[in-house]
Formats: sequence, structure tokens, C-alpha cells
Amino acid sequence: MLPAPRIPYRERIAALTRTKLEFNAAKLARDGYHDVDDHGNIPWPDPIPFERISNHPDGGSYGARCIGQNFRRWLEVHPVYIHPMSALAGAWITTLPGVGGWRPEDRPTHLYPYHKKYHFMATGIGAMNHFGPDMRIGLELGWGGLLDKIRYYRARNRPADTAFYDAEEDFVLGVQNWIGRHVTYARARAAAEPDPEVRANYEAIAEMNEHLVHGPPRTLREACQFLAWFQAVDRMWYHGGALGQLDELLRPYYEADVAAGIIDDEMVLWFIASLFFNDTHYSQIGGPAADGHDVTSRMSYLILEAAHLLKIPSNLAIRLHDGLDPGLLRQALIYNLEDGTGPSISCAKGLDEGYARNGVPIQLARLRAKVGCNWTALPGIEYCHQDVTRQCLVAPFLLAFYELVDDPAAPRTMDELWRRYVEHLAISVRVLKEGFDWHMQHHADNLIEIVLNLFCHGPIERGLDAAAGGVDIYFLTADGLGLATVADSFAAIEQRVVIEKRLTWEQLAEHLRNDYAGAEHVRLMLKNIPRFGAGGTRADGWAKRIAETYTRLVRGTPTPLGYTIIPGLFSHGGIAQYGADLGATPNGRHAGAPISHSANPDPGFLPGGGAALTAKASAVAAVQPGWGNSAPLQLDVDARLLKEAGGLEALEALIRTHNRQGGTLINLNIVSKEKILEAHKDPSKYPDLMVRVTGYSAYFQSLSPAYRQQIVDRLLAA
Amino acid sequence: MDGWVFDIQRFSIHDGPGIRTTVFLQGCNLRCFWCHNPESQDAGPVIQFFPDRCIACGLCVSTCAQAAQLLVDGRRVYVRDLCRICGACVDTCYAGALIIKAKRLSVAEVLAEIEKDRLYYEDSGGGVTFSGGEPTLQSDFLAALLAGCKERGLHTAVDTACHVPWETLAALLPYTDLFLVDVKAFDEGTHRAGTGTGNRRILDNVRRLAAAGATMWVRIPVVPGFNANEEELGRIADFLAGLDHVPPVELLPFHHLGGGKYESLGRAYPARDLKPPSDEAMESFRQLFVGRGIPTIRGT
Repeated sequence: MLPAPRIPYRERIAALTRTKLEFNAAKLARDGYHDVDDHGNIPWPDPIPFERISNHPDGGSYGARCIGQNFRRWLEVHPVYIHPMSALAGAWITTLPGVGGWRPEDRPTHLYPYHKKYHFMATGIGAMNHFGPDMRIGLELGWGGLLDKIRYYRARNRPADTAFYDAEEDFVLGVQNWIGRHVTYARARAAAEPDPEVRANYEAIAEMNEHLVHGPPRTLREACQFLAWFQAVDRMWYHGGALGQLDELLRPYYEADVAAGIIDDEMVLWFIASLFFNDTHYSQIGGPAADGHDVTSRMSYLILEAAHLLKIPSNLAIRLHDGLDPGLLRQALIYNLEDGTGPSISCAKGLDEGYARNGVPIQLARLRAKVGCNWTALPGIEYCHQDVTRQCLVAPFLLAFYELVDDPAAPRTMDELWRRYVEHLAISVRVLKEGFDWHMQHHADNLIEIVLNLFCHGPIERGLDAAAGGVDIYFLTADGLGLATVADSFAAIEQRVVIEKRLTWEQLAEHLRNDYAGAEHVRLMLKNIPRFGAGGTRADGWAKRIAETYTRLVRGTPTPLGYTIIPGLFSHGGIAQYGADLGATPNGRHAGAPISHSANPDPGFLPGGGAALTAKASAVAAVQPGWGNSAPLQLDVDARLLKEAGGLEALEALIRTHNRQGGTLINLNIVSKEKILEAHKDPSKYPDLMVRVTGYSAYFQSLSPAYRQQIVDRLLAA
Repeated sequence: MDGWVFDIQRFSIHDGPGIRTTVFLQGCNLRCFWCHNPESQDAGPVIQFFPDRCIACGLCVSTCAQAAQLLVDGRRVYVRDLCRICGACVDTCYAGALIIKAKRLSVAEVLAEIEKDRLYYEDSGGGVTFSGGEPTLQSDFLAALLAGCKERGLHTAVDTACHVPWETLAALLPYTDLFLVDVKAFDEGTHRAGTGTGNRRILDNVRRLAAAGATMWVRIPVVPGFNANEEELGRIADFLAGLDHVPPVELLPFHHLGGGKYESLGRAYPARDLKPPSDEAMESFRQLFVGRGIPTIRGT
């Protein structure tokens, strides 16, 4: 039993929470709304004296060498920060300023008209950082070992152009400089600190980091500190956010430290909370090992509890499989019900079995970790380019519909509409694939994965960027969005126009062009058909057909250069943004209104059907593309429904069933309807209210009104 | 065979164990003044009208052959006395201002809806609950549904007030895994005042179910001004404690969730001024049962 500190660890964690809320308020006041993941960056009042090097007439900074030089210079001037109540040093302030993008001459301008026509919101071209590191590499080598490795392979491979290695070397030297300055800073703070316990903490941080400048972590606290440095610099470079199977990364250190008698669990909670305070990188706990056995350990529970104690947004996931320790899932749901600090639930069956269909052994598939908003990746050996495309399923529909009604010779049939839809969808998918090839051909010349290369097996050994042959596995991914909007539109036309003949194709087109002006009853007639999600409806049939067709178009053939693309259905949170430029649709959606969310039915899809959670879960399970990318289920549940005995057990069963059905990800929001409505009126009243927007967690008050409305709509329909 | 069904709710988690689908059968022979499903009381369908949803498109007016749907000074009026509940207006009301409850569904149609959540029943220990209204009033239909569920290996529950001949309940015993039995009052006068009918047959049926070894949960609505007092609830507790097999009890606090439905049916809401019992009061009532050795469900 270790002596209890005078300032209990939980009080220190509470101090971190308070600071986080202060920082968040300051960021909100300075930057306005923040609709993506909450990040650990801290507001900094003073300008940072960074002088960027440019290497192009347009003033930009492109290519490995220039990026490496700039990153090093940035880290050499980046301020130092230590929260007195944290176990760890460091915080990032902003991304590497002014560095990024592609040279103008490399940009795919020939594809831009197609991107516009098919309403791509993200093409994947030039996107960064959406694959998973193997943090064991860094934990075993430390920054000094990584530097030695770079130098060793540069000498051994003797490339004609050493820019790649030089850039990586510059980056690590920059990191070491930054850590080293924290050592000095911690010592200075210690010298000025009157409180002996706080002083001792500064001294411990100084001593720990003096070692970590070069050496690999030796203890759990040092391992957390190493991961904190990684998180901070990873975020600086295009908001990288992937960590890995956190419980298994930390377990060896935990077990060794417990055996040595130098830690207790209260202290561990403080370490982990300090790591989560540092940044909200995505990580996973629990789940299957390669042989299928569950990896849940004491470390998994401590990570879960630390996130709960810290009470700030976290991007933690549980990997659910049949063998998962039931206590871990139950505890996660309890925390979720209590205050929204529970994790999302990554479903192993659908993901692993789906991924294995690509020819990957199931043992390898099981090692993919949920390290992004909606996505999983094999740590350190796979370039998957996840979550960087937004392929609109609605725009091809509107093109097909208007082409049909504007062609007097075209047969007015569902078959003809479908034929034209598939034709446009196929062109859109071809555009996406050509874009991916363009990305793979040009990306590493412009941008390099300067951070993640170090934590992959291959880039340093081969002298190749992860996007250019540095790793072994290249399954790229595409995400379609707007499924319910299209499925319900097909079904509305089929029912109201073709079968019931309540209006003609031309009348429908007229109403759509007029955005249903003066025809609210027509809009409601089209909207109030049996919709996608009710089960067994025409719209359910269309949704399945669209999902299967999209899957076949994406997965059926590789890109012209031979890359396999794995389809998913995911819209992130930007359904308002994606719908803003789209005309009215036959499902009763007004022009400019949000389109549907990921693979989920629209709110209110089952009128009078109670909570409808099973209907929704079954609907989303039925449209899974099934190759290892995700089509998340968004579960928004009124807390009151679950608070009575039996409620939590029912939710747990629902979650397990969705996994059995082949679902891939469950994003769970358990919030009181009354509270969310109050917060929507005046978000500042609830500065600590957290919601899971999609796969990520955020402060409700930080979200823009459109994003908040989305959450409110989902909860009101629940 | 078919019957009148006024709702089917999936992910129903408060009508028996686990995740369930609750099938609400139309028609009830009690008239509890606090009833939160007043649309279920008539034996056949009823039309609900929600004026706040109406967009005044006038389609119902032009559709109604009985002139029961009117536009008067731009305001929609529904003359119930003229309505023959044919449902034609409902078919044109895309705004959802007019809703018909219930629908005539076949056994096969209901079972198809039930089947949709089979996996969830398996994983949660759930199943199907037949509620109402009073589901046993459509006894043949109910028996066919229960038999269909048992053929499919599903757990079945029947939520009944037991105000039917014993033979009706006895016929359901082979197909029913759980009876959710409403006991609203022990004192006959109290019962009659609150529900419009006496309770001798109800209590007798509860005794017989217990004697027959049926698995039962007894559900007691706790209604202020009716039974929400220690004397009446204590009498119910004494009655239950004396049964051959003492069933667990679930106390259900009165709530106003069904209040808006009365207006949609053109009826006054008799329980408008009642206040739901406090958590403290509910806990105190629960102790009346715990003190007599009766287990309580859900801790309420």
C-alpha cells in the first residue's frame, strides 16, 4: 500500500476537468463553434515566433524536406506547458502553421468538375493521417531509438535523395528539443514552487522527461508521457488522432509497476486521466486478440474509469465480441447513462469477418483497432485512408430523376429511374477511384506522413512514405452518405406516383423545383410513406438495393492502378452542410435541408412505434456493406427509458444483438430529453454537457446550432 | 383469423422481462378514470384528431361522405356524431392530424411484425406481450396469436385486468408464460368508483391463476384519489400475501402521458388535476408489500 498523497489523485483529476472547461470556454470565445472532435489543444494568448520556410513560388511549403525543416523549427519555438495537477508534461497549441496542401501543379483540376457535379464533400485526395500507428514501436525505441533507426536506414539504404530520412530526422530532433525544454521548464517551476507535493511533481516530470528525450519509457507513467508527446505532435500534423489498443499497450508497464510496488490504482487513474487531458486521441479497450481470446484486463477497467472521472469528451471505444468480459460493457453503459462519459462500441463480428473477406486471415483482421471516428485500422502495417471521403448518394439520384423527367422519350418507370441512378452512381464511383489513384501517385511528393511513418513497420526500413509503399497493406476506403434520403425518395415515387398515381412524374418534378412551395400536403404525402427502417417496407428494399449496388460498384473492381476500395456508409456529423446545396428530394425533404445520417433511418421513421431502437438497429444491420469498413448505428436514447431496472440490461442485449447481426459500430448517446432541450435554448448553461455527435464525443455548447439541432432531432425522435 | 389491434410497440422494455414487442389489442371492459390508453376502450376503431398538426389542406373535407369533417371559418371541425369511422379522411391526412386506431390485422400479419425482433428476444430473455385494452376480450384472436408465438418458441406474456370469465383465462394457460395481472383495488366500492365495475370476479380469477400455478406479476397502478393510500394498498398486499403462490408486484405510479389523447378523442380528461405520487410516497407504498414478504419488481 503506497502512502496517500496530500492532494488526492481524484482532486488532481478534478482540477484538470476544471481547467479543461476553462480552456473550452476560451477556445469557444476565440474560435467560435467547433463541429469536429474536441481536441486537447490549449488556448495560448501570445503569438508564437515561428518563421516558416517556403519552397514554392506560391509561398507554400511542400515536400518532405521542407516539411521536416518547418516541423523542427516549429517545435523549437512551440511554447512549453505543464499543468501543476497533471502527471504529464506538454500540450499542443495549434497545427503546424502554414504548412500543408499540394503544389498547384499537382492538384487534380481535371476532376474538379466531376467533384462538383456529384457533390463530393471530401474526395480523399491529399488527405492525411487516417490510418493507425503501432505505438509499440515508439514505446520500445523511445525518441532516441527512433532517431537511431532513421540514421541507420539512411546509411544502409543510401538513397540518392535523402529528403525523406532528413525530414524524419528533423522531426524527431524537433520533438526532442521540445521535450528537453520542458525539462528545463519543469525544473524552474519546481524551484519556484512553495508546495512540497506540487514541487515534487514538477521534479518527477523533469526527471522522467530528461530520460524520455532519448530513452524508451520504463514505467507506466513514462509510457503515458511518451504517448502524450506522440498525441501532441500527431495533432499538430493535420489533426492526427489515432492511438491504438490502449489497454494492451499499457498493460505490461502496469503489471511491472504493480509487481515492483511503485504504483497503485488511484495513481494509475491519475496517469490515464492526465493522458486524456493531454488529447482526445482515439483508442480502444477490450476485444479479441489474434486467437480470439478477450484482451480485457485490469488496465481496461482503469482506462474506462479514468475517462469517467475526468468527465471531458473522450474518444474511447470498446471492441465488442462474443467473448468480451461482460463487466466491461456493463460498466461502460453505466458510465454512459450516468454522465455521457462511456465509450462508443466497435462491433468485432461485422468488422473482422467483413475485413477477412478481403483475403486477410481472420487472426489478422481481429487486430484492427477502432482508432477513428467511424473506423478501424491494423496498427502500423496498413494504409487505409479511412474517413476521408464523403461520397453523396443523393446527387446521382437528383441527376437521374431530372434527366428522366426532362427526356420526353424516357419511359416513366422505376426501372428506368434506377438504371439512370446506377449509371450516375457508377460515374461518381469511377471519379472517386481515379482520385484515389491520383492521390497515391502524388501525395508523398507533396505531403508526408511525417509522424505516423515512425510508428509503422516499413516506412523507415524502406525509405518510403506510408502513402507510397512504406507499409504492406493498402485497402483504401470510401464512405457513401445520404442512404435513407435516397431510399425513401425511391419508395415515395414508387408508392405515390407509380402505384397510387396520386401525382405524375412531371408534377413531382415541378414540386421539387419549387421546393414544395404551396404544396405542403404533397410534401407530407411523399414523406409519410412507410419508410426505411420500419422493416419490410418498399423503402427498406430500396435501401438494401442501393447499399448493395454502391458496395458492388466500390468493392467490385479496383482502381485503375489496382487499389482495392472498401465501402462504408458514414456521413460524419455534417448532414446539414451536405444537404445545403442539394435541391428538394421526393422523400419530402426541403431544398437545403440536411440529408440523412450515415446508414441510419431518418428521425421519426416509425410513427407511433415507441422507442424503435430495435427497428433502427435491424435496419442499419441490413444495409452493412460488409467488407470491414463501417456503417455506424447512431443510438440516441432518452435516459429516462433506461433508468428503471431492466433498462440497462435491455440496452446491453440490443447492443449484443446488433453485433451478432453484423453491425459495425454503435455510437451511443444517453441524454435526458429535458436537459438537451434546455441546453439547446442556452448552451452556456450546460458547459459540461457532452454528446456523441457520431463516432466522436464533444461538448454540446461547442457545436454549431446546426449540429446541435441534429442531436436534438435525433433525441426527440427517440 | 383477424382482430382489432391498436398498436404494436417494438423495444418495449417495461411489459415483462427483456426486450419485448407489445401488441395492444383493442377494446376494454373497464373504464378507469386515469386510463392512459383511452383510444383502446371501444371495441372497434376510433379516430383521433390532433388540430395542432392540421395544415388545413381540406382533403379530408372533400373526402368525407358524411360531412363529418368541416372547414368553418378556416378552422377544421370534426363532428364526431356524424362520423361512421370509415377511415377515408385518415387516408388523405398526410399531416397526421387524423389517425385511426385500431386496425384489423390477421394473425399472420401480427406474427410477421413480432418476428422482426426475434434476435433481440433471444439475447435479452424477452418475448411478446399482449396488452390492451383488455386483450382477453378478443379471446380467439389472442389464443391464436399466443399459439403462433409458442410454435415459434417465443416467450409470451398477457397483460390482463382479469375481468373476464375464468374459462377465458384458463384457455390461455397452455400458451402463456407470464400473466401481467392488474389489481387496482381490493375494496369493491373503491374499485367500482374508479373503474366503473366491481372486482369480485377479478380477485377470484387472480386466486385461480395463483392456484393453477401460473407465473404472474401483479401490477398496481398507484393513483391519487383512488388507491394511493396505505389502507387500500395494504389490503391489496394482504390479499396477495394470502395467495397460493405469492406473485411479485410492480407498482406503477400514475402519470399524465396519456392525457393529450382525451382531447384528440373529443373527451374530457377526468384525471387532469391529479398529481403523480412522489418517489418518496412510492417507496413508502413499496414497503407495504416488502413488509408482507412480497417481492417487488424494478424497485418502484
